[in-house]
Amino acid sequence: MFPFIYEFQWTPYHVVFLGLFFSVVGVILSAVSLALLRAFKTLRRRRHEAVQWEAEFEDLPVAARTCRHQIAGEVAHRTCNHEFDCRTCQAHQAFLAKLSPELAPAGTQESVFGFSLPLDRYYHRGHTWVTYDGDGIYTVGLDDFGNRMIGTPDSVELPAVGATLSANGSGWLIKKGRAALRILAPIDGVVVETGSAKDGWYLKVHGGEPEVETRHLLRGEEIKPWILRELERLQGAVSPAGVGMTLADGGELVPDMSKHAPHVDWDGVWGEMFLQA
Amino acid sequence: MDQQFIPRGLQRTSFTRFVTWILPWILLLGIGIYAMYLCLADGLYHTNMDNRFAFGLWIYLDLTIIALGAGAFFTGFLLYILRRDELKAVINSAVVLGLICYSGAVLVLMVDVGQPLRAWFTFWHPNTHSMLAEVTFCLTCYLTVLVIEYLPVVLKNRKLRQIPRFLVFEFELHKVMPVFAGVGTFLSFFHQGSLGGLYGVLVGRPFSFREVLGIWPSTFYLFIISAAAAGPSFVLLTTWLVQKLSGKKVVKPEVMQFLGKVSGWMLIVYVLLKAIDTLYWINHTVPAEGGLAYSFYTSQGFGTWILFAEIVFLGLVPALVLLSKRMREKSAVLVGAAILVCCGIVMNRFVMTIQTLALPTLPFDLLMSYVPSWQEVATFMAVVAYGVLVYSLSFRYMTLFPQERDMRQ
Repeated sequence: MFPFIYEFQWTPYHVVFLGLFFSVVGVILSAVSLALLRAFKTLRRRRHEAVQWEAEFEDLPVAARTCRHQIAGEVAHRTCNHEFDCRTCQAHQAFLAKLSPELAPAGTQESVFGFSLPLDRYYHRGHTWVTYDGDGIYTVGLDDFGNRMIGTPDSVELPAVGATLSANGSGWLIKKGRAALRILAPIDGVVVETGSAKDGWYLKVHGGEPEVETRHLLRGEEIKPWILRELERLQGAVSPAGVGMTLADGGELVPDMSKHAPHVDWDGVWGEMFLQA
Repeated sequence: MDQQFIPRGLQRTSFTRFVTWILPWILLLGIGIYAMYLCLADGLYHTNMDNRFAFGLWIYLDLTIIALGAGAFFTGFLLYILRRDELKAVINSAVVLGLICYSGAVLVLMVDVGQPLRAWFTFWHPNTHSMLAEVTFCLTCYLTVLVIEYLPVVLKNRKLRQIPRFLVFEFELHKVMPVFAGVGTFLSFFHQGSLGGLYGVLVGRPFSFREVLGIWPSTFYLFIISAAAAGPSFVLLTTWLVQKLSGKKVVKPEVMQFLGKVSGWMLIVYVLLKAIDTLYWINHTVPAEGGLAYSFYTSQGFGTWILFAEIVFLGLVPALVLLSKRMREKSAVLVGAAILVCCGIVMNRFVMTIQTLALPTLPFDLLMSYVPSWQEVATFMAVVAYGVLVYSLSFRYMTLFPQERDMRQ
């Protein structure tokens, strides 16, 4: 195997054969080392939340990854390939240049399919909302769709004041039954105050400029088609496997759905609706 | 009981039913481990092999499962190198199958060769003129590659991915997967080929001896192509079996049809080359040695039907079926053709291993017969049980079919 071993010969057979073998071993070791090194760097830079979202996004069902411009009817079919981060998406910029969704007037309360979804707010695809309060402060809460799906949680774990949030990273944790749900943070920023379900909001966050920080969030006319699609996804998720959508059309979503349909795998349904693999 | 370990959104049978399913396989594995212990502790006299019939059930098993496990390298090659993204739906399953096949083969080889404590000799003092030295090196390296490819599948388990270190390492490992796919393809090319070349260079066995094409005998190339044809069919077949046993759709029908199409194309190339090789062997190679090819098919049980069955019934027929789009769209026909392809590879490896050794080579020789001992059979069955256990556990606790969640609806 090596020149110092007594049977080794400097013949073409030995040199080519062992040369190829050691090259293969070298490539395997290099690739594993590269992965380890990159992983070490990512952990050191505390970027694991971003990595988690990137990995989970790829594992989401195709229906959950539909581009907001398809939902709004601006394009026939488009699956997001930018992890719902429209802030740096070239395609989003191109769509906006053609047709910009208008922000509804502040304070407009709209009931969308029975959900209370004020149109002065921005909505994240993971069912959180954001309002800009001025001076770089944003209020973050769980939207009515999310609230009705979960009902009253067993416990809520909020981040500490001073904790840094990143958009699509962990916002807070909700536990209900055997499910532990990571609610995705809608924006980047630092937590300055924590609330509760009773307050109607969960976090106050200090972030950057609203034009930039909220660019990836849904708003105005995008809300109604998005909620319609979410209802369809929910119907699909709670229907028995292989049967497809069988729920009766119409009606409103009752609060605390899990209480009314205990046979459903709510851990799976919530995971799917709150964008977790 | 174990719901927290099952991938979110996927439905699996109850823990009690799962334990009931795996218990008989654990028992079978236990019996096999005892048989392996007997062979390793007392020696190979526990087997019915001897100096003349040195390749028995175990080598036959090795060759067959290594060919069937080729689905891992070929699916990886198509996905990561040729960018056939539809195969993402089955790549995890293909990797698990490859790992089972190759680790099972290495396990049986260790029992067959004996003296596992001296296994390192083959690396330290390699006989570079031997096809088997190349097979040993490639098998070891490729098994390492398969373990690395399996690692992300394990680390994606719901509980394990909650640990940031595992999550990030899995993510980064996944990024370099094309490198492993390339290395796996390179290694598979050589060891699949060398396993075939091993028979092609047996000058003393005119039934398997073939003339050299380039630097290797023709069997070298035929083994590579036949493995590449059988691998996708085996992935297709196991996927269908998983769907039947679990009662769930796990991949889209188009993926199954694509696997069938790939298998069909590789198989038609193989059948063509095999037919040319056989005709050349009948008309040139054997007469040049002073023999008559027909004489190899006059022994009891080994008639010309074997040749017909291998090339036509289990080769040409499924190849033509799989090449027809209309046929592939019929699920029963697609699966039936995949079964024929897998049976074809099983038969080919049987012919190359058992028939080659059983046929008389000298005028005073008789057809040799060999019946494996219970220890050989138990070891064989232990590998099957090991495969079922690893696959069942992987299917329950890992995401083997990423489309399964979509297919629920």
